[in-house]
Amino acid sequence: MDEAKVGVFIADCGGQISKILDFEALINFTKNIQGVTLVARGSEFWRGQGLQTIVEAVKSNKINRVVVAEGTPKISEIAIAKAVEEAGLNPHLVEVLDLKDHCAWPHRDTPKEATEKAKAMLLAAVEKAKLLEPIEKAEFPAVKSVLVIGGGIAGMQAAEDLAEMGFQVHLVEKEPFLGGLAAKAGRFFPTDDCAICIQSPTADLKTVAHTSRKCVYRSGFSEIPNLNILANSKVVKVEGVPGNYKVVVERKPRYVNEKKCVACDLCTSVCPVEVPDEYNAKLKTRKAIYVNTPLVYPPVYVIDEKACKFYDCAKCVEVCPTKAVELDQKPEQLTLNVGSIIVATGFREYDPSVIKEYHYGEYPDVITHLELARMIDAFGPTNGVIVKPSDKKPAKRIVFVQCVGSRDRRWNPYCSSICCMISLKHATLIKSAYPDTDITICYIDIRTTGREHEYYYERAREMGIKFVKGRPSEILQDPATNTLVVEVEDELLRRLLELEADLVVLATAMVPSEDVKELAEILGIELDQDGFFKEYNAKLRPTETKLRGIFLCGGATFPKDAPTTSLHAHSAAVKAAKFLTQGKIVKDLKVAVVNEDYCGDCEFCPVTCPYGAISLAPKENGHFVARISELLCEGCGVCVGTCPVGAIELRHLRPNQIAAQMKALLSVNGTSKPLILAISCSECGHAAVDSSGMAMISYPANVRVLKVPCTGIVQVQHILEAFKAGAQGVMIVGCKPDGCHYEAGSQKAQKKVELAKMLLNAYGIEPDRLEMFNLVYIEGDKFAEAARMMTERVEKLGQIQLA
Amino acid sequence: MAEERQEKVTTVEFSKEITSKLGGETITFCYQCGTCASSCPVAKITDRFNPRQVIRLALLGQREEVLTNGAIWLCSSCYNCQERCPQKVEIADVIYALRNIAISEGNIPNIYAEFANALISEGRIVPISKFLEKKRADYGLPPLKPAGIEALKKILSATGFDKIMPKKGESP
Amino acid sequence: MTVYTLFLGCTIPARQPHYELSARKALTKLGIELVDLEGMTCCAPPPLQSIDLETSLAIAANNICIAEEADLNIVTLCTGCFESLAMANTLLKEKPELKARVNKILSSAGKEFKGNKEVRHYLQVLMEDVGLDRIKQSVIKPLNKLKVAAFSGCHLLRPSELLRFDDPERPQIFDTLIEALGAKSIWYKNKLKCCGGLLRGYADDVALAIARDKIVNASNAGADCIATLCPFCFLTLDLGQMLIKTTYKEEYNMPIIHYAELLSLSLGVEAKELALDFHKVKIDKLLEKIG
Repeated sequence: MDEAKVGVFIADCGGQISKILDFEALINFTKNIQGVTLVARGSEFWRGQGLQTIVEAVKSNKINRVVVAEGTPKISEIAIAKAVEEAGLNPHLVEVLDLKDHCAWPHRDTPKEATEKAKAMLLAAVEKAKLLEPIEKAEFPAVKSVLVIGGGIAGMQAAEDLAEMGFQVHLVEKEPFLGGLAAKAGRFFPTDDCAICIQSPTADLKTVAHTSRKCVYRSGFSEIPNLNILANSKVVKVEGVPGNYKVVVERKPRYVNEKKCVACDLCTSVCPVEVPDEYNAKLKTRKAIYVNTPLVYPPVYVIDEKACKFYDCAKCVEVCPTKAVELDQKPEQLTLNVGSIIVATGFREYDPSVIKEYHYGEYPDVITHLELARMIDAFGPTNGVIVKPSDKKPAKRIVFVQCVGSRDRRWNPYCSSICCMISLKHATLIKSAYPDTDITICYIDIRTTGREHEYYYERAREMGIKFVKGRPSEILQDPATNTLVVEVEDELLRRLLELEADLVVLATAMVPSEDVKELAEILGIELDQDGFFKEYNAKLRPTETKLRGIFLCGGATFPKDAPTTSLHAHSAAVKAAKFLTQGKIVKDLKVAVVNEDYCGDCEFCPVTCPYGAISLAPKENGHFVARISELLCEGCGVCVGTCPVGAIELRHLRPNQIAAQMKALLSVNGTSKPLILAISCSECGHAAVDSSGMAMISYPANVRVLKVPCTGIVQVQHILEAFKAGAQGVMIVGCKPDGCHYEAGSQKAQKKVELAKMLLNAYGIEPDRLEMFNLVYIEGDKFAEAARMMTERVEKLGQIQLA
Repeated sequence: MAEERQEKVTTVEFSKEITSKLGGETITFCYQCGTCASSCPVAKITDRFNPRQVIRLALLGQREEVLTNGAIWLCSSCYNCQERCPQKVEIADVIYALRNIAISEGNIPNIYAEFANALISEGRIVPISKFLEKKRADYGLPPLKPAGIEALKKILSATGFDKIMPKKGESP
Repeated sequence: MTVYTLFLGCTIPARQPHYELSARKALTKLGIELVDLEGMTCCAPPPLQSIDLETSLAIAANNICIAEEADLNIVTLCTGCFESLAMANTLLKEKPELKARVNKILSSAGKEFKGNKEVRHYLQVLMEDVGLDRIKQSVIKPLNKLKVAAFSGCHLLRPSELLRFDDPERPQIFDTLIEALGAKSIWYKNKLKCCGGLLRGYADDVALAIARDKIVNASNAGADCIATLCPFCFLTLDLGQMLIKTTYKEEYNMPIIHYAELLSLSLGVEAKELALDFHKVKIDKLLEKIG
């Protein structure tokens, strides 16, 4: 690397900050720093003529390092780096500092002190710049293909978006047919339209015109180019990195050839096996070879291998006109190469048989919503008539029970969000069709929060559906008449009721789909405390997980209604596509690197990395060394802070750079107060410092700020070094413990601070000289307060006396 | 005096008083679903007692009413409500806590005073008549082992139980 | 030989020696040795818990300490005693803070709760130590398909989180033990609901109404008798029928009998040995049915 020639460009912001800071003195001081070959002053340097000055200096080879003292560095950094790169210098050889918000504004009442601090800040920037190293970009493969796991409305919507965008989409569904819960539900609130209706292109894909709604059947969903539908299949293994995953999918045999089956139904007429039809809530039976309802996709029959007698019977084989039945089919495995993965596994109904007082599973006339939905469906097992499952007589008195297994600390403590609307939907559908049915809904609260949901509730009341505020304690059965009796307190009447019912419908909780734990392990993603897939952050990063290439949508993250599911699906599709559009991932290698010679195989760092970027690579002697994935590393430095032997360094903030900055910041005091070093994280911590300055809140100039990516990088020795370098007090300023932008960095920093305090105590240094502060950006006033408080505290403690 | 008390005890204060008492820790989980009321054998027979209402009054800070209106003595401690509560409120135990508070302030129904006095003097809440004790031999039952009254007295003294009781004949 | 210390409580020795008698005879016949220990006091049931919970826990723990010192597990007859002692045992074993608090109180009496013994109800002892097979084999006079309305009372099952005796919504142990004697445990309305016993003395009218409900339901279901485990339930339903006669002018003549008595009878103990004159509602017809 050539010798550093540092150019320092100091902006006076329209002459405003030079009213406070003595620019003459600053320029003189800077000129005299070793290594500085150019000092320039201007109004601004991040755009216009100022930026040109920098560009010319670079091009003319007068400088090979750029230090800019500019306002709002978070914005100006980007513009300056870009221009510098275009001029031919590596953009990472640039250091930007903020003399306005970090010096002139907060210290405007003490201009002399501010100027001294500014000198220290400039020195620190120059010393760091001298040690900066060029950082290259790297390219990683980005396969323009996406795997969608789950063929319900969320999965189908996301798949359709991506296929239209030109991606190859593989849609994997574990059931033999697509549609998920929507296919069973029949109709969706609040519009009561077909549940399976989704937005999709017309069958004529050459035109741009779309009709707004088409169901799976009419949309020609299966004919969308680039869409590969794999029903009856499961994901069994996932390897690789975002942009380049290898996924192994196992396909269960259908025993019916998809290309030959004409869905004529002859096979079911000869099949001798009858089993209870679970899809239809066991209200009827089906054959071993079957489709769920006439309107399925794929329109291909499937054999239930547990029920079928195979070659002991084979009547369907004989009778099939196109010889589509193939009893010899075996499971097959295929490997897919995809760039990103979307999990859309949905949710299912909780089994309420554990709530023994409701006797679900014991009394056949106590059912759940999905079972009721099958009855309401005109294509269903009862042709749309609502009957008592026990004797198939029409049910004239129906009682709905809300919050069964939801909002219940014994079972599922959360509110399942959609069941109030589902009960209203079913109640109004039944009352419309059979007005003489007596319907009562027993509730704790009625939650109709969405758009148009309140009108839906109004309509239900207008139709004469009764509402009892009270949660039933028990459902009894009168053994003489087989009538059900629901025991409930009507709280508003303050009367204990015994409601007689032909049918009791339990609005049971919505819980994650089966096998979710297994899938989470295969993908390496987390489940939340309720067992749903964990969204990274519902506000800031919806539909994302902590893993950059894996996304979530639909009921898999939490029960939701159709409009929300739709939104979620579109979001996931966009995110899954965004980083793949260029066919490659280009990344600045601002990452951590392991010095393998120092690595002692302690194996702490892979566990600490929040991004799973660190793996263990075997070496010859049976040991392992840590190896960091350049693609996955976020450059936060938490691993650096964890490594007990200092084997890991950040390319963009080497230990010598930290040390140089520390020394420089503490080299000039200029105030009568003790020097305090505030190590701030580049996220909330530094932003809080910024905002205190932007709001011109005063704090004393003896407080010097050192920026690090994340406070997680802080080691105990950094703190001790700060004291050695001249700090009388040290502040660690990071994000809130539950809001660290790098997951757990600030919590780790807290632990180091506690440890450091113990060591300081042992050395005879007052532990109160060290403190951690957790702030957010809008708490600039709190930063200033903290700075003032620390200054006062350290003043009282006096100079450090080493024993 | 009553007004002073009203001002002093707010909603939050009474809740805190209950949650810091043994047995009453879970009262604030209640979301008034009414499952307890419809599980209660006493509420079924009479509207003088409704567990949901007792908790509601308590959470609304109506300390005086809760401790003196007599409802809390009508719980039969069958624990049906506690079994079924979806918020795991320990309703029967909360009622014990409320009774404990009431008694510590002198509100004690006669029957409980009787039990307490029997316990203090004989170590049993239902005293065993000498007559019956003698008859045991006739039935072929072994003689009754003496109760550990000394140890009991020490325990009652350690918890202040013996001071809770109004003297014999002095109950409200 | 399985050995337990028998915890009698107050009500049984004071009002129902027939329960104690039949229990001792039956358990001894089935190979359980019962030891009586000195120093036991009241178990601290709901009436005392109503006065002060902490004191009650200490009293219960004190009783358990006596058993711990004798290195014996406890068996109770009264389900109220079972609830009080088992609840205290479990709470103190599982909540170290509470245990410390109670031990502080116990230290004034020179005792320390260690948590190394079990509290069981005699039904548990029958199921687990004796076993159904042995009971069935030991039955000499099967109960002739007697229609028994099993009423275990509340405190055998609840609070289930602490007692962990049987499924509180679908209990089976008691019914199984009744049927092992050759009787039939029948369904009747609100089988698991409380008898209202603990309200006696404060609100006798309410207590009586609740008790009456139970008698009516058992009667409507065609029960020959109601089998009880708790002496309070027994009194409420047995003596209660006398009060129902005067208050409601209704007579049900529903025999109330402790399971231990049925057990003794089926094991061949003579009725005259069981002090059956303590039953207010005469049980001669019942004894005839059994034969």
